[in-house]
Amino acid sequence: MVEHVAIRGRGIGKSFTVGKVSTRVIDELSVDVASGELTLLSGPSGCGKSTLLAILSGLERPDAGSVEALGEQVWLLDRKALQRFRLHHIGFVFQGFNLFPALNSVEQVELPLSYLGLGAEETRRRAWAALDEVGLAHRRHMRPAELSGGEKQRVAIARALAKRPQLLFADEPTSALDSVSGQTVIDILHRAARVHGTMVLCASHDPRLIAHADRVLRMEDGRVLADEHHPHPPMGAHTTS
Amino acid sequence: MVALARKTLVYEWRRYLPASLAVAFSGMLLLVQLALVFGIFDSAAVYINASRGQIWVGYPGTQSIDLGRSIPRDAQMRLLMNPQVAQVEPFQWVNGDWRGSRQLGSVSVFVSGIDPAPDGLVFARAIPPALRARLEEPGAIIVDRADLPKLGIQVGQSGILNGQRVYLVGTTSGLRALGGVNIVTSLATAEQLNVGGDPRPAYYVARLRDPARAAVVAAQLDPHDRQRRYAVWSASTLAARTIHYWLFETGAGLGVVFMSLVVFLVGTVITSQTLMGAVAGSISEYATLNALGASHGALSRVVMEQAGWVGVAGLLGGGVLSAMVLLLAHSQDVPVGITVAGVTACAVLVMGITLFSGMLAVRTLRNADPARLLR
Ligand SMILES: Nc1ncnc2c1ncn2[C@@H]1O[C@H](COP(=O)(O)OP(=O)(O)O)[C@@H](O)[C@H]1O
Ligand SMILES: [Mg+2]
Repeated sequence: MVEHVAIRGRGIGKSFTVGKVSTRVIDELSVDVASGELTLLSGPSGCGKSTLLAILSGLERPDAGSVEALGEQVWLLDRKALQRFRLHHIGFVFQGFNLFPALNSVEQVELPLSYLGLGAEETRRRAWAALDEVGLAHRRHMRPAELSGGEKQRVAIARALAKRPQLLFADEPTSALDSVSGQTVIDILHRAARVHGTMVLCASHDPRLIAHADRVLRMEDGRVLADEHHPHPPMGAHTTS
Repeated sequence: MVALARKTLVYEWRRYLPASLAVAFSGMLLLVQLALVFGIFDSAAVYINASRGQIWVGYPGTQSIDLGRSIPRDAQMRLLMNPQVAQVEPFQWVNGDWRGSRQLGSVSVFVSGIDPAPDGLVFARAIPPALRARLEEPGAIIVDRADLPKLGIQVGQSGILNGQRVYLVGTTSGLRALGGVNIVTSLATAEQLNVGGDPRPAYYVARLRDPARAAVVAAQLDPHDRQRRYAVWSASTLAARTIHYWLFETGAGLGVVFMSLVVFLVGTVITSQTLMGAVAGSISEYATLNALGASHGALSRVVMEQAGWVGVAGLLGGGVLSAMVLLLAHSQDVPVGITVAGVTACAVLVMGITLFSGMLAVRTLRNADPARLLR
């Protein structure tokens, strides 16, 4: 595993100050996350999962410690370079799907690709392939208003995957979904890790996802309490429609 | 490239409608006020614009045509000696006091004495030859039909002007004056009405063989010395002097600037608020794009493009609105004046409103912080 480490976090600390009260959210935390597998950050609400995800993905600057992603010291990059790093290497899936109401599924996926400067042909090809991968080929020309919650999240995943990122971060991707849709979504993320060799780091308080992860980091109060590997996790029945 | 700005505008048009309407109304207000001001001050120069001559001769230093004073008659001979000049005609200006019916009291009027010949130059564009010929009758007058209520008479009736009885032989349009009523008579009638005044005319009007040479010939004809008793202008120069004089004499020029500022401010407030609301409503989508690597500059371009389209839609709407209002005004004999420069200035100001509003809305994008999507 060690030779496939995609992200190395060392001595990460983060506090938030609200009013006069300062709360330590991440406490001297060190963690390695590997490529090609789905790592689940599990733990109760408020334990710091999202904050850790934001620090590891270059969205929130830590108070202490360092993050090395794909050999790059993320928090030593300037704002522009960090943005370029995210553009080329990182995909995100959020709890809210954050799709533009006016765009159909293909356009949602094409939109971030256009910032990569790919040609129109290549952009379209990748968008169709990504929608195929999440099993939404038949929903290509529908707008968010015509899609179910699970379908919307799969469009959001396709949008993140179409960039072919080495690092994919997902924060509570199933929390707004029913259990069947949630299962489909986690299976898609799992398969993306296996098929493309992507590092997938998923934060969720939902214990049902534990069975679908290659590795589970159990968090509590800003620390990792347990680090469990599931060598051959069961792949749930994946439906493509 | 996905046309995010345009697709969003079309899909969520209701959200952007207030901005487009604000822009349209701003444009309409700007254009209509400008058209009205120019329309009103155009009527100060109606004597020039409704006539056919290209050269005007008057008292040196005259700032506005209504401020003319008598000039020597030998000016006419000087004009006729120039081979470019085809026709010369005197124009008499007499200030008058009108008494129609008793209830209306006295009305201050401007009497224009003109040559009633069918090929006469002064007011040739406003008075058709048949009507013009009727001025040959002693005491005959013609007025703008919109001025009838002020004078209190109908065609065929008479009134007292400078103590003498005159008869209204017909009406026309495009003769309205600023600050009084224009009354057109023949030169002979004007002489009768000019009781105790200087009998010499205030202006001579000349038609050139080549109308395009007005400026050159005017410069040739002007005596150019300090002691000159008359000056020569091209018709457009005297009209511009007159309009300029009225704009600043009345303070209307400052009024236009002030109103434009107010319209700009109100238009910008409404437009920017609408655009800011639209940005705020899509803030997590913008933040997601930023997380995926789209720069703030790229997101700003989306907002500016939306502002641009809102402006274009508003400009079209404002154009239609203005056309409707101005046509209505025109049909009611409200003087309106539209120039290419005026329309261009309004369009530029309106696009300024939208682009400035877009820049304010871009500031809202600062809230598109992807870290906030992780909770
Ligand atoms: N921007 C912030 N300002 C203040 N407190 C915050 C902020 N973000 C998170 N917190 C606090 O940090 C703690 C951990 O939050 P979070 O990482 O979102 O937890 P989790 O994702 O595990 O539910 C919570 O108590 C939360 O209230
Ligand atoms: Mg969270």
